Amino acid sequence: MTKEEFSKMKQELEAEYLATFKKTVAMHEVFLQRIAAHPVLRSDHNFRVFLEYDQDLSVRSKNKKEKFGGFLKTITKSADEVMLHNQKDVDEFFEHQKVFLEEYYTRIKDSTSKADKMTRTHKNVADSYIKISGGLVQLATIENTDLSKFLNSLGDGFEKARKLEGRIASDQDLKISDTLRYYMRDSSAAKDLLYRRLRCLSNYESANKALERARLKNKEIQQSENAQQHARESFDHISEIAKSELADFKTRRVQMFRKNLIDAAELEIKHSKAHVQLLKNTIQTLKEA
Amino acid sequence: MAETREPPPLSEEENIKSEEEDDDLFASAHVEVKAEEPKGEKVTAEIEPQNLLDEGDDIDLNFAEGAKQANADKVDETSKANLFEPEKVGDAANIDAQPLVNDQPKAAPRSSAFATATKNKAQQLSDEIEEESSENITINISVSHPQKVGDGMGAYMTYKIVTKTNIPEFKKELFSVNRRFSDFLGLHSKLEEKHAHLGRIVPPAPEKSVIGMTKVKMSKEDDGTLAHDEFVEKRRASLERYLNRTASHAVLRLDSDFREFLQLDADLPKATNTSALSGAGMKRLFNRVGISVNKMTYKMDESDEWFEEKQQQLENLDDQLRKLHTSVEALVHHRKQLSLHTASFAKSAAMVGNAEEHTSLSRALSQLAEVEEKVERLHEKQADADFFVLAELLKDYINLIAAVKEVFHQRVKVFQNWEAAQQTLTKKRETEAKMHLAGKTEKLDQAKADIAEWEANVQKGQHEFEEISQTIRKEVDCFEKQRVIDFKSSIIKYLDSLIDDQQQLIQYWEAFLPEARAIA
Repeated sequence: MTKEEFSKMKQELEAEYLATFKKTVAMHEVFLQRIAAHPVLRSDHNFRVFLEYDQDLSVRSKNKKEKFGGFLKTITKSADEVMLHNQKDVDEFFEHQKVFLEEYYTRIKDSTSKADKMTRTHKNVADSYIKISGGLVQLATIENTDLSKFLNSLGDGFEKARKLEGRIASDQDLKISDTLRYYMRDSSAAKDLLYRRLRCLSNYESANKALERARLKNKEIQQSENAQQHARESFDHISEIAKSELADFKTRRVQMFRKNLIDAAELEIKHSKAHVQLLKNTIQTLKEA
Repeated sequence: MAETREPPPLSEEENIKSEEEDDDLFASAHVEVKAEEPKGEKVTAEIEPQNLLDEGDDIDLNFAEGAKQANADKVDETSKANLFEPEKVGDAANIDAQPLVNDQPKAAPRSSAFATATKNKAQQLSDEIEEESSENITINISVSHPQKVGDGMGAYMTYKIVTKTNIPEFKKELFSVNRRFSDFLGLHSKLEEKHAHLGRIVPPAPEKSVIGMTKVKMSKEDDGTLAHDEFVEKRRASLERYLNRTASHAVLRLDSDFREFLQLDADLPKATNTSALSGAGMKRLFNRVGISVNKMTYKMDESDEWFEEKQQQLENLDDQLRKLHTSVEALVHHRKQLSLHTASFAKSAAMVGNAEEHTSLSRALSQLAEVEEKVERLHEKQADADFFVLAELLKDYINLIAAVKEVFHQRVKVFQNWEAAQQTLTKKRETEAKMHLAGKTEKLDQAKADIAEWEANVQKGQHEFEEISQTIRKEVDCFEKQRVIDFKSSIIKYLDSLIDDQQQLIQYWEAFLPEARAIA
């Protein structure tokens, strides 16, 4: 590989690294800000430690046992979900939310994958510019007519255009795809919340049934009463929190989409203007050559 | 003025003769020369008196002149006389042709001075070429209205060809005809037969395509939708480029077959020898095999370094163009993919917008979907531009370079013939010497006659070789110039289309921005 090709590749890798870095940083920031904005979570001890502890947090990743345990839990959870799926909720609000979230989740998942594909192909387009620019420069070297300078500047133009297109692709990725992806995860989390609530509800209902049975049999009434009370309390508690959380979810979603859509549109405009400028300059140099 | 009018029958006869010839180069040259000789007087009588041609010197000049009759459109035919100076240089017979510049007879020595003479002439030639192009000759051809004729397997597409020109040889200034694809191929093979062995670069015709045509034949739709088919569009564009390129060649544009192709109202006789499975097709196949064997086995020792250089350059150019072509095709492919994916994203974004409860966000998302749809159409348009402007340009030039290489090969063939003639001459001389020694006087006469004949052949061979070298130089210069112009204009056109697309993009996103801001 010649020196120029090598330096070009190095530049390219650096740009890519920078882009991925920007993305990860943004994601982390959103995550931490979310936690901080939440009235309860912000005072969580772990969160405090995370933000304040001076030295390295030694975070041990899950060992085999824990991973396996986690795996089993997901299985039981999904089985449970299926069972609870048909249970109709008393509260209309939650019923509506459930329906909405299910549908929203599927659609947004689809959208995320399509957006990802789109950004990937966009990057491919940008990359194919590299080969063209290389070919043009080579053509220019063997060329002995006026075309030599012409092709050289054209090759340069393509090179710059590639950088630009690459940046467009990664910005698009950043703003649109990542928003979608984040909200896909978030709606998945909201679904989890609803699930947990439903679990509580079914617990409450089974506690109720147990109480009735106990009353019928006249045995262990107190125990079942306690259990029922307990279940009821946790159900009410979770319902309330769920309400506020879901409302919050909606506002946050709207806000984040708004911000990112505006950013995306502005960036597209900025890049297109730069692109137009670049093309005009190239044409200028070409006409003079 | 009489001299600007060329007598059509003259060139027609010449062309007919060349068509009847088989591949024997000498024979065709010989016969053509003979055909020209009686007309020599007529020709010279018509040309302006300043073109003083020595009577005894008809042979080569008239041959060349006859071939160039087609060029008689030039107001200053005197400059033509200069064009052929170098061809007479090598002639042993005394040359009295007069260059216009200095009224002295030019009797330059043999081919040793040929090279230097041609270098001087090359400059003069390029001046004259510029002179020619600066004269007010325009010809503009457009190919349009692809229409399907017939049904089933016998169906074919016809194209309407409209020519606008002010060349006097054409009967009218604006006229149109209908032609089908095989007509184009027929025209190309006729032009090639007539001109390629003289060293002229004949632009290659667009390629046949079995898949595309079968699709056309099989389709049941009527003309309206078919005209938008990608294959048809591709073919139409390449046919247009082919005709315009042939028309921009000073000699080829005045060729009678070409003019007939553009002007004749009736349908042309079906060019059956262009179909792949015909007898002529088989013959072509065998010829091609023979030619490639020839190319590999015979190595000509090149005396003229200009040709060495040029061939090397052409090889390099060919390589690079091919590489560039593949990368451009990759770009086209990726862009088409991009437009597909953008389309599917637009749809799914619309779905998300539908599922969204919050009204203004929902509206914004649907707007996003619309913008992405528009963007997708833009990407597709750009991919088309990539293809039709860049990729096809490169492909055309790759094919043209193949035609140029062919022309170089013709020259090698001519050289081969010349050498073969020289060898035969030596053998005949030996036979004569042997006869002389053996004292067989009756066979001696025969041998002497043979020697004379072959001496003439050798001269002819040399002449042809020098002529073809000359023509090739001119043609290649033209080709290079044309290439530079073509590339520059096409690339600037492409970049302009890119700018347009980007500005459209800006518009779309700017329209979207307030919607995004309006999310409550």
